[in-house]
Amino acid sequence: MPDQPDRQEQNAERERQRIARRQLRSPRSFASIVAALVVAAICLYFMFEAAMKSIGQDIWIKSPGQWWDWFAGLPRGADPVLLPLASLLVLLLGLYFLLQGVLPGRKARRILPNDRAIVLVDHEVIAATLARRARTEANVSPEQVMVVVGHTMVDVNVRPTSGIRLRADAIQKAVEDELVRNLVDPLPKVSVRISESGVVGQ
Amino acid sequence: MNQTPRGLNRTLLVIIGLLFTAVGLHGLLVSSLPRYAAGWRELAEAVGESVEYGLRETAMAGQTTSWIWIVVVIALIGIVLLMVGWIAVQGKGRTGVFAEAYFPGSGAEGTPSGPVTSTPGAVELGAAVPEQAVKAALADRTDLVSTHVSTWETGGDAGLQIKVQPRLGAAPLQVSREISETVQEIDAALGRSSLVVIHLAAGARTRMSRAERVR
Repeated sequence: MPDQPDRQEQNAERERQRIARRQLRSPRSFASIVAALVVAAICLYFMFEAAMKSIGQDIWIKSPGQWWDWFAGLPRGADPVLLPLASLLVLLLGLYFLLQGVLPGRKARRILPNDRAIVLVDHEVIAATLARRARTEANVSPEQVMVVVGHTMVDVNVRPTSGIRLRADAIQKAVEDELVRNLVDPLPKVSVRISESGVVGQ
Repeated sequence: MNQTPRGLNRTLLVIIGLLFTAVGLHGLLVSSLPRYAAGWRELAEAVGESVEYGLRETAMAGQTTSWIWIVVVIALIGIVLLMVGWIAVQGKGRTGVFAEAYFPGSGAEGTPSGPVTSTPGAVELGAAVPEQAVKAALADRTDLVSTHVSTWETGGDAGLQIKVQPRLGAAPLQVSREISETVQEIDAALGRSSLVVIHLAAGARTRMSRAERVR
């Protein structure tokens, strides 16, 4: 009995981590709904034809038996252009489903530490913060800075105002400092690129 | 925070994907390689014959049609129902009840103002209670473009998802800390601390609105 609260706490912690992990990956709902609709449509069609056959009614397009004869005799009786095209379409659809099922599907967001809640931050939000810091450091206008945040790297692109030299290492330090301040962990690799051509001062 | 069955999604997607890939590949090979097509026809003929034999053997009494067709129809109905069920469980898990408790009641309870008789009854807090509380608490913040709060089932308990869109350039850690402080105040008010997910999201509205300037 004395270890019960402990175990409850452990379970709550495990549940918390499970939910946090789930937020970082795609649930594949869209592909699942598409796959379910396609499979259901095919089944409904054959169901209809088979039902027609079993109650002795006229068939609609082809009876299941005739479909089999057509399928077994391929490529006889099929359009020489339409068949490869349709096959390619089915192949691509199959590959789409397969890849959706196999690929990890990581979302562009990460977890920030917080002792009360699970905090998720989209990479775009972090990028906006880093861009603001980089542009104040470089003293340029917002349009001159572009930041891309990935899972393991941060790309900072700065177009300097013509005539004013920019120091890449200072911008890099500022961006890294901003990442540390926001407790982004593990720290991604920051690369700063200062483009060759400047823009007219604004 | 929803309860989409992700393992099921991926398993079924792989199975259906493999089937479709195989059929598509087969169609391409049949139409481009004559030798493959000849081999396929030979195989298909053999399979077709054995199936036809089976269908003749299973013909219903007094009829020419086989009862296998009825089995096939039932199987197809089953698959269609499974597919409908599969679609229905996508994104499920939202709940309208935040907390509920049943009080059995008692005879007389001592309180500072004298004995009180409590009646048995149930208390239910709707999902709108925490949702409106969080929304109202965050409404004055100028660094958030929008706030969405929803309540979800999480392992028997209700959990809150607070999705906010901070203005471009707002410091994520500070925003998340301040929201979590708000959550703790609401915890104290409701007397219950549930699982909370705070999601700082980017969207069309953050891109269109003006950037955060002073913080």
